[in-house]
Amino acid sequence: MIHSLELTVQQRPEVLERVLRVTRHRGFRITQMQMRMNDDASLSLDMEVDSERAIELLSNQLNKLIDVTQCKVLLPLSLQQTANA
Amino acid sequence: MEPGQMIRGADAVIKVLAAHGVTTVFGYPGGAIMPIYDALYGSPVEHLLSRHEQGAAFAAVGYARASGKTGVCFATSGPGATNLVTSLADALLDSVPIVAITGQVSTAVIGTDAFQEIDVLGMSLSCTKHSFMVTDVDDLIPTLYQAFEIAASGRPGPVLVDIPKDIQLAHLEYRTPLLAVTNEPQAEMSDIDAARALLAEAKQPMLYVGGGVGMAGAVDQLREFIKVTGIPSVATLKGLGSIAHDTPGYLGMLGMHGGKAANLAVQDCDLLIVVGARFDDRVTGRLASFADKAKVIHLDIDAAELGKLRMPEVAIAGDLRQILPALAMSMNITPWQAEVEHLSRKHQWDYHHPGSLIYAPALLRRLANKLPEDNVVCCDVGQHQMWVAQHMWFRRPEDHLSSAGLGTMGFGLPAAIGAQVARPDATVVTVSGDGSFMMNVQELTTIKRRKLPVKIVLVDNQKLGMVKQWQQLFFEERYSETDLSDNPDFVLLASAFDIPGRTIFSSDEVEEALTEMLAAKGPYLLHVAIDDAFNVWPLVPPGASNSDMMDEMEKQT
Repeated sequence: MIHSLELTVQQRPEVLERVLRVTRHRGFRITQMQMRMNDDASLSLDMEVDSERAIELLSNQLNKLIDVTQCKVLLPLSLQQTANA
Repeated sequence: MEPGQMIRGADAVIKVLAAHGVTTVFGYPGGAIMPIYDALYGSPVEHLLSRHEQGAAFAAVGYARASGKTGVCFATSGPGATNLVTSLADALLDSVPIVAITGQVSTAVIGTDAFQEIDVLGMSLSCTKHSFMVTDVDDLIPTLYQAFEIAASGRPGPVLVDIPKDIQLAHLEYRTPLLAVTNEPQAEMSDIDAARALLAEAKQPMLYVGGGVGMAGAVDQLREFIKVTGIPSVATLKGLGSIAHDTPGYLGMLGMHGGKAANLAVQDCDLLIVVGARFDDRVTGRLASFADKAKVIHLDIDAAELGKLRMPEVAIAGDLRQILPALAMSMNITPWQAEVEHLSRKHQWDYHHPGSLIYAPALLRRLANKLPEDNVVCCDVGQHQMWVAQHMWFRRPEDHLSSAGLGTMGFGLPAAIGAQVARPDATVVTVSGDGSFMMNVQELTTIKRRKLPVKIVLVDNQKLGMVKQWQQLFFEERYSETDLSDNPDFVLLASAFDIPGRTIFSSDEVEEALTEMLAAKGPYLLHVAIDDAFNVWPLVPPGASNSDMMDEMEKQT
């Protein structure tokens, strides 16, 4: 199942490695990724990940990373459309 | 020091340690960390020289676990840092607060494959709670403060700070940084109410207690909770000592080598209260059938553990010292308490062992009964480790140091060194096996150098016993590479480090030998020869449910 995550992380040279490592190790495959540098020394990171595992297994672990200030799981697209309807 | 006075980064490192109350550092010098060792020279911070960086970091782990303080270790760049990896991973899986400081090659040559250069920050990602590389001397002090804060806060863990040599040599003005305190999760009142409602309707509740209780400093709160509720209890390997061993309804360790009563009671319960534990596979056996009739209340400081392996009915992330008193209530569970008591009596350990051979479980039980009140028992990994967990008893969790999560052979000897430094008046015993002992045997020199009175009980079956046991049971007795009959003469080996000792072969020597060992003023090695036919029982076979424990009788039929 595909899930979308929105992360805000601190700008540190190794921060992407940390996020990628946890994502791989916890059993998720990144299918899409986008990164923006913000003015306040943070980075915004949008990811789509694929896994049979519940997304909380990843989001809870990403939330534990010291340099991750926020990790938001977006509702699946189908539910977003229902919510907007 | 005068305001505005400039000092070297290396001196600042030692000052930050002193500011955190660090009195002893464990480590090993080398090229890229020489400025820090220079700053250490003549400083009030004591340094204990190990003979391998893994030993230094394990000593820091032993120090931290026996004292509740953060352990600190030093290593140089390259091989010094790579040798730390195993101990850091051990500290990560057992949630031990460690600050590891590594020297690094100068910033100008990082990334050029310089001598003794390896990407330590990259290497640290999977074996630390967090890590830093300092590239600006102005960041050095705040980074070190942050490292101590991260290591000890929330769910504790190891933090590595990699400091290039030019940063150690650069000058800065020492300023105490403003502390950013980590926000700990707070329990929601509605969750407390939901948990109390589950407790109120439970007929057969069980407490499953893990290492989180000791690390949260919540042993007293847990004991009070048990006193008020009367709920029967079991503990994980790391939870041992949290509950006094003579507490009514306490059934000891659960899991793969847990007691039968402990596993059967958990399988039978209708409410499982999980306190600072994490449904490890060695605890649950086949997860789907673990306590499958039970609702679950899961209490832990780490929200990521809640629902990771078992979805709880009520999950509360927060400080156990606050949550446990909020949940305590008197309960009417007399029939269940009687049933648990019956299970406990039915499945008591039997220490009667025919013949003159030494029965290790009986020896360890006797040792536990003989130890003075202030004691620490360390062990290595394998059969002897499970016998220690099954047959010894502990007054507090910080009195039992066992490599639980990572299961690292070679843990025991250096951990005992750290424990002895942390608690100089305690009787520190390390129980090892003939396999594990050789993995950090070089640390005997550290014992010799500091004249540490560590007592070593070396249980020797001339085998890698736990692997041999599995080969016997699950690999058709094909004993691949588990024979250690060419072991060295351990007593002679110890004597080379000025450590006296003796070998015993017969059960009638045990009492006197234990007395002699405990009476020794300095270190001592008691080499215990046991029969290689002894295995660890009972056992939940891999993939089986905890209801289906094997014991020795079943194996023989």
